[in-house]
Amino acid sequence: MLLKGVKLGQTVLGVRGITKRFPGVVANDAIDLEIKAGEIHAVLGENGAGKTTLMNILFGLLQPDEGEIYVGDKRVRFRSPLDAIDVGIGMVHQHRKLVSAHTVLENIILGHPRAGRILNLKRAEEEIRELCERYGFSLDLRAKVWQLAEGEKQVVEILKTLYRGANILILDEPTSALTPHETEKLLASIEAMSRDELAMIPFITHKLPIVLAISDRVTVLRRGKVTARLETRQTTEQSLAREMVGREVIFRIERTQVERGKTILQVKDLAALSDRGFLALNGVSFSIREGEIFGIAGVSGNGQQELAEVLAGLRKAEGGNVLIDGQDITHASSLDRWQMGMGYIPSERIDVGSIGDFSLVENTTMNYYFDGDYSQRGIVDYGNIRELTKEIVDEYSVATPGPDTRAKNLSGGNLQKLILGRVLSRKPRLLIASLPTQGLDVGATEFVRNKLIEAKVEKSGVLLISEDLDEVLSLSDWVAPIYEGKLMGIIPGEKAIRENIGAMMAGSQSKGQET
Amino acid sequence: MWEFTARSLEASTIFTFAALGELIDQRSGILNVGIEGVMLFGATFGFIAAQSTGSYWLGFLVGITIGGLLGGLHGFFSITLGVDQVVSGMGIWILGFGLTTYIGNPYTGPLGLPRIPTILGLSPFFYLGIVLVVVTWFVLSKTSLGLRIRSVGENPSVAEVSGVSVAKTRYLCVTVAGMLMGLAGAIYSLDYNPVWNYNFLMGWGFIALALVFFSMWNPFILLGGSLLYGTLWQLSLNPQLVLPGFMSRYLWRTVPFVTTLGVLLVMSTKWFRTRWGAAKPEALGTPYVKE
Amino acid sequence: MRIGGSELKLEKRPALTGWNAALISVLAIILALVLFSLIFILAGINPLVAYQEIFSIAFANAFGLPLTINRFVFLVLCTCAFIIPFRAGLWNIGMTGQLYGGALGSFAILFAFGAKQANSFSLSPVILIPLMLVAAALGGAAVGAIAGFLKGRFDVNEIVVTMMLNFIMFWLVAFMIKEGGPFMNPGGRGESFELPASAYAPLFMGIPFTVFLALGLALLLYFMFARTKIGFQIKAYGHSPAAARYAGISATKIPLLVFVLGGALAGLAGYHYFAAVPGVYKIARNYGFFGDLAFYGIICGLISLGNPLAAIPVALLFGGLSIGGRFAQGKLGMGFGVDYALLGVLMITLVAFQFFHRYKIVRENTGENTADVGVHR
Repeated sequence: MLLKGVKLGQTVLGVRGITKRFPGVVANDAIDLEIKAGEIHAVLGENGAGKTTLMNILFGLLQPDEGEIYVGDKRVRFRSPLDAIDVGIGMVHQHRKLVSAHTVLENIILGHPRAGRILNLKRAEEEIRELCERYGFSLDLRAKVWQLAEGEKQVVEILKTLYRGANILILDEPTSALTPHETEKLLASIEAMSRDELAMIPFITHKLPIVLAISDRVTVLRRGKVTARLETRQTTEQSLAREMVGREVIFRIERTQVERGKTILQVKDLAALSDRGFLALNGVSFSIREGEIFGIAGVSGNGQQELAEVLAGLRKAEGGNVLIDGQDITHASSLDRWQMGMGYIPSERIDVGSIGDFSLVENTTMNYYFDGDYSQRGIVDYGNIRELTKEIVDEYSVATPGPDTRAKNLSGGNLQKLILGRVLSRKPRLLIASLPTQGLDVGATEFVRNKLIEAKVEKSGVLLISEDLDEVLSLSDWVAPIYEGKLMGIIPGEKAIRENIGAMMAGSQSKGQET
Repeated sequence: MWEFTARSLEASTIFTFAALGELIDQRSGILNVGIEGVMLFGATFGFIAAQSTGSYWLGFLVGITIGGLLGGLHGFFSITLGVDQVVSGMGIWILGFGLTTYIGNPYTGPLGLPRIPTILGLSPFFYLGIVLVVVTWFVLSKTSLGLRIRSVGENPSVAEVSGVSVAKTRYLCVTVAGMLMGLAGAIYSLDYNPVWNYNFLMGWGFIALALVFFSMWNPFILLGGSLLYGTLWQLSLNPQLVLPGFMSRYLWRTVPFVTTLGVLLVMSTKWFRTRWGAAKPEALGTPYVKE
Repeated sequence: MRIGGSELKLEKRPALTGWNAALISVLAIILALVLFSLIFILAGINPLVAYQEIFSIAFANAFGLPLTINRFVFLVLCTCAFIIPFRAGLWNIGMTGQLYGGALGSFAILFAFGAKQANSFSLSPVILIPLMLVAAALGGAAVGAIAGFLKGRFDVNEIVVTMMLNFIMFWLVAFMIKEGGPFMNPGGRGESFELPASAYAPLFMGIPFTVFLALGLALLLYFMFARTKIGFQIKAYGHSPAAARYAGISATKIPLLVFVLGGALAGLAGYHYFAAVPGVYKIARNYGFFGDLAFYGIICGLISLGNPLAAIPVALLFGGLSIGGRFAQGKLGMGFGVDYALLGVLMITLVAFQFFHRYKIVRENTGENTADVGVHR
């Protein structure tokens, strides 16, 4: 480790002129960055701004084409993350990089040079407990990781980097999967660590309030370049957003008013198990009418995924009923539901919503092979489906060389647009959209949201499941926060207050909110 | 009756070695369905070596070595080339099946060497098998190397980022596994049933595969499973000891295979699934590509 | 990997189609034949002479050609039996057991109509032979169905199940045809009773009609995958069971269906060899040999990349290599099992060539000091 005896305020990590090019795009363009010991320095930027590339370079996962990295005053070159770890840089990933089946202790000491031939768990346990006390973490070291909550898993990753001797921590979207309560705890820990002269670098996309709450300085990236270096005290959410996007950002979308029709979907007391056998849905009831967007807001893992799957016919309902247009379809197959006018846009667009090795035409066929107009007497009319695919590609501006390209060659946004187009072309009565804008850039997100509104205008009923609270608030006619498999309330969109919904997502009962 | 038990235990030894090898493979995330092929190679080349030189030591050495080489080959295809592991395993099996049929043909017939001396009436390999089961358990659960192996099998990208070389760890496991499988084959052809015939392993390699799934990757349960299978096999050869005259002896021969089907079925029930799912190395069968 | 001033990188291919893929298969075959010549050299034989012998016996010889074609029919059926589940992402290595099931099915019909005792036989072949075909298909399908059902309903590993069924069926056949079994030959030679002459399959120039059956089925299969609803569902399931489920395709029915179809085809292969090939007309003592032959179906299936049309030339080539190899080994003074060894070498070469399906080696001129990035995505 290079950094013994570093004083507060000294530069511990210097990045000069880092440039990285990929075919067709300059991901990082002459980026300069200076991180001081004991500071919390946020790096802000939209998807595609170059944050991930920069982060990977700092952690040794990528090599820069140009530029230098200095740790302390020594120039360093990372051939792999091991080199970065050796000089004291640690990374806490957005999607947990832990072995779920192993215990907390085993995860922390994996690969540690001091782990010893025969595992000396006791000594490691003591040392790690010390770390926990120091920064206010409380964790059962002998628990298996899969049993932990998201926030606790993140603590394990933090401990892992600390135990390896990191004093510069890169945090990738640290609060994206946390409940508001867990977020508070994390922020407190980050403060504690920074007081101990560790440098913390959170890389963030949208949680602007977090940036304002916790960081000392902010560096904003846009299109691969640094567009602003600001002292957090001297900036506002609005100005940060403007630097990120390059124009004034509208935070609230006007909600379109549409006349409501009859009830399409009725869900009564629905219960279902998660993959691990726990009760994921615990008695959910609601209904959706024509022309409505019903938004379910919640942190991932509270039953939304299971709800979508049960409604789509992909998961068994352990109890309760689902009715479409008055007909009980609780035990109907998913094929039946497609034929009855349900449409489902799954959150996993690559593994479930599409088949990468299939052409776009074949992907369209996924929702049309059973359709009498396109498939008669067992023979699929590929010619017709091809025409349909071309129409979809046109209408939804899917960037692709042609309908015979393989789906895996499409970018995330274009793939999602294709799936959206394919499902919407069936004019579903009920549209279930699960995390429809996740991972998409600004342009694609806007497009998808507009299409959802269009569907509502065309008198479909839309069930929107999203982890983006702002998205739910701005699009939905009804907002239903979900927590541990129960809907904590059903609030009309105009009357929903952000803080209250956030609190309900974290488990508190509705306070003074109408349901 | 003792004779029956002794033979059962000796048969079980072979299952133990082969399945133990595959267990190590699978804990590191590599699936090798071609166990039979590796065993055939070990058995045939070991047989040839021993018969030609008259030395059992050489025979076993050759069996182990060729097993290790084949394990390495499977590793090369799966790890370095990223070929689908099932395809590679099938390839190793058919390679084994095909080549040993041709190469071993001139040696068809009995080994012609004095039998390996027994300890307390049992083949020495039986005891070696138990020792290896304990050693494997110890290494996997109590050592740093074991932790690395298990992590590689559960989540290779995490292991890689933590400083463990996924490729090296897997190569190690695949080679050791191959050595064990080759040894299993050699034990078969040199000790258990020292008569060479083409494709004489009769599906034991595939039974060993089922055994690993059944054992939930626990070396001790695996040992129990092998003992059970050894007994079943002997039973199918000598049904008269238990139920004389009950069924045609040909139908009795199907018992071990039908039992395997039954075992697999039991393993798919809900009760078993939840525990099995948890014990299964998560990255089993998935090729790992460095990002 | 760096070599001098340029860098060899591995680029992931966007998935091979059509002729490119075929080229790789062809290269694999050629390489395998080249590698295999080592075996000839070790036996002191000139490989070119050896190959010439093999091919001339197989294709240019009045005695060998019909044998080759018979074997070709057998292989086409077994290959298609492998291909159908393969397209669904499943491994059918149980063609052996399924063909035994088919053979038993056909002979069950004969037995039921008293063929065992009578020397002449009253039932007209016009009724009998189709019945035998149906029974063969059903017998094979039944064996396949076990694996398909277990996979679809319980997600049981089909590799182990089909392999176990191979052995179970092997012994079942033994039970049926050996001492005291229902199909035993009255002469008791450890084989089944013989087919009455009236039940012989019609021949066209010495080849049983099954050749047309096999070709027709291959064509039908091709059409099935290319154009039909069920073909689409199978392919979708093969690529992604999760996505297929999403699209409303039954993850329990597809495995069952493909194994039933595959089993049926393998069952027909059983009918072909044991009831249609001239000179056999019974379940012979060495029936195990034909069972083992079915494994060629795996390789042919892989080489033809799951395309039933490609299976035709590939099966013909293999039929030839197998027959030619069998007879050449005698003529050239080589030991038993040359064809098996070729099988093995071919398989492993194919496996190695799978690599080229995913990656291609790209040469890039770099002047810089960049570190190894490994496999590019």
